[in-house]
Amino acid sequence: MEHVIIGNGIAGISAAEMIRRLDPAAGITLVGDETSHPYCRPMISMVLDGSIPHDRLSIRAADFYDEFKIKPVLGNRVSAIDVANKTVSIQNDAAISYDKLLIASGADPRPIKADNLHLQNIFFMRTREHVRGMLDALPNARKALVLGGGLVGFKAAYGLLHRGLKVTMLIRSGYPLSMQVDATAGKMIRDELARRGLAVQVEAHVVGFDGNGRVERAYLSDGSEIDCDIVVIGKGVLPAHCFVPRESIKVDLGIIVDRHQQTSSTDIYAAGDVAELVDISRNSRWVNAIWPEAVSQGRIAGMNMAGRKVAYKGSLSRNVMRIFGLDVMTAGIVNPSSDADYEVTAAADPRRRTYRKLVFLNDRLIGMTLVNCVEQGGVLVALMQSETPVTIPKAKMLAPAFNYRQLIKR
Amino acid sequence: MKKVIVHPERCVGCMQCMAACATAHSRTKGLFSAILETPVPKPRIHVGVGLYNEGFPNRCRHCDPAPCQLACLPGAIFRDLALDTVLIDPDKCINCASCAMACPFGVIRYHEHCFAPPGKVVAAKCDNCFERQMQGLIPACAEVCKVHALTFEEPAEALKRKTDEVARSVSTGVLQSDLAAGFTLLNTHKRKQIEMGQD
Repeated sequence: MEHVIIGNGIAGISAAEMIRRLDPAAGITLVGDETSHPYCRPMISMVLDGSIPHDRLSIRAADFYDEFKIKPVLGNRVSAIDVANKTVSIQNDAAISYDKLLIASGADPRPIKADNLHLQNIFFMRTREHVRGMLDALPNARKALVLGGGLVGFKAAYGLLHRGLKVTMLIRSGYPLSMQVDATAGKMIRDELARRGLAVQVEAHVVGFDGNGRVERAYLSDGSEIDCDIVVIGKGVLPAHCFVPRESIKVDLGIIVDRHQQTSSTDIYAAGDVAELVDISRNSRWVNAIWPEAVSQGRIAGMNMAGRKVAYKGSLSRNVMRIFGLDVMTAGIVNPSSDADYEVTAAADPRRRTYRKLVFLNDRLIGMTLVNCVEQGGVLVALMQSETPVTIPKAKMLAPAFNYRQLIKR
Repeated sequence: MKKVIVHPERCVGCMQCMAACATAHSRTKGLFSAILETPVPKPRIHVGVGLYNEGFPNRCRHCDPAPCQLACLPGAIFRDLALDTVLIDPDKCINCASCAMACPFGVIRYHEHCFAPPGKVVAAKCDNCFERQMQGLIPACAEVCKVHALTFEEPAEALKRKTDEVARSVSTGVLQSDLAAGFTLLNTHKRKQIEMGQD
């Protein structure tokens, strides 16, 4: 059995490891765009802020490909898939034939529209090479502009602040991380960042840049301008599936997969940032481009490719971050619409700077926001993932003393 | 292999396991000297209460596969096969709290400890007292537990005992016996107090 995996990220790696575990004789070819050894993408922001060196990003042993008998084909993107003949074409290279194919090509940074994007020192922050470029630019940089208040923009701002730069964050919505947290937690985060010197400008976006070779200033939609010598674009990511033939593989925002991570085409699977599958809390298809989902989906895809029909219950959006003095954990739906039958319970303790908010739909927990009390967050995430009905008084789950024994009535 | 087995129905919530655990994870290994250490040693077993104030010792299950291990970004969480124990390498840990989001039992805490680099906050959880076990001692929580809510034994034996208890309780002709009568009485008492308070 020949397995071909597109993607050298954690979804592809997890799938390859699972296939090898279940089928010692299988052929595994791994096609990847990034040439470096498997590394931990969420940790690149820690290289930027200086808390870890570059060489600590590796997450597998140096002889990983040899040990798992994986044939790596790195440095090129896949250009086409021939579904009928079961082959994958690679730029500047011959076609590779497969019996089972996994598309784990991940996502690319969402581009922005603005003038003079070609100027130096305008970066995305997605790969370790991006961060390497940013670090090279740092010695001559004093003022940074971060576009986007999502996770990437936010981590970039945090890292640059740590490096001693004056950072301005530009967000379209009213507060940072508006996709991840609710307004109350968003305000706590904004206040904390402001206290540490971050300037946040809301409800504005960039229309163009200017500079002599290198970026020097940005022009905003409201007519004002900001001086900056380093720019980071963090406007989210888009699934990387331009090589996927739409006539044979169903694609929405991401590649649509079933409970076995299989696409609409037999023997072709998808996992990770590129896949779109049922989201447990939203009860509809969703692309959850997060690390732990990529691990789980990669493992499930690997099991199914190796012949074990294992089903995945669905994905769940979730995030945890430490922001100076704030620990924030969120999962599922954090900003429920007011018209549906959502029940929201919340508790805040301003003195301890804690905040908890739980969102229920009937007797099921479907969303949470925790600030500065994240230790029991995994219990709540597990409750959401297993869709366990909550039968205890909901306010009990907000108490500081909550533990999972309290979910059991007797 | 012997393991610590939790019998939550017997727990009275005395928290002696917490003190013993913190002491076992100190530099000096004595209660009175441990509290003078910097950083102050902290327990990795957490006694909480259930809905009716019954005691509940919450301890790492050392799951396999371990959700915390799969979620760990830097690969700091690993399984020690000899002791069948999930361990955290404090040198690799980046204190990102990804494991807090993954642990279905909520047993991971974040603080400095005497086995981690000085001044570094890291994830900490039960390590099955591997240091004590290598010296031939049993885990501190099980050693100190006075009511056998925590026992150190072969899982198969504990399971057999439990199966026998259940079998006895459902078989007719055998006198119904409450094997932990005192605890049942205590927990019933606590429960009634709360229920009466609610009316």
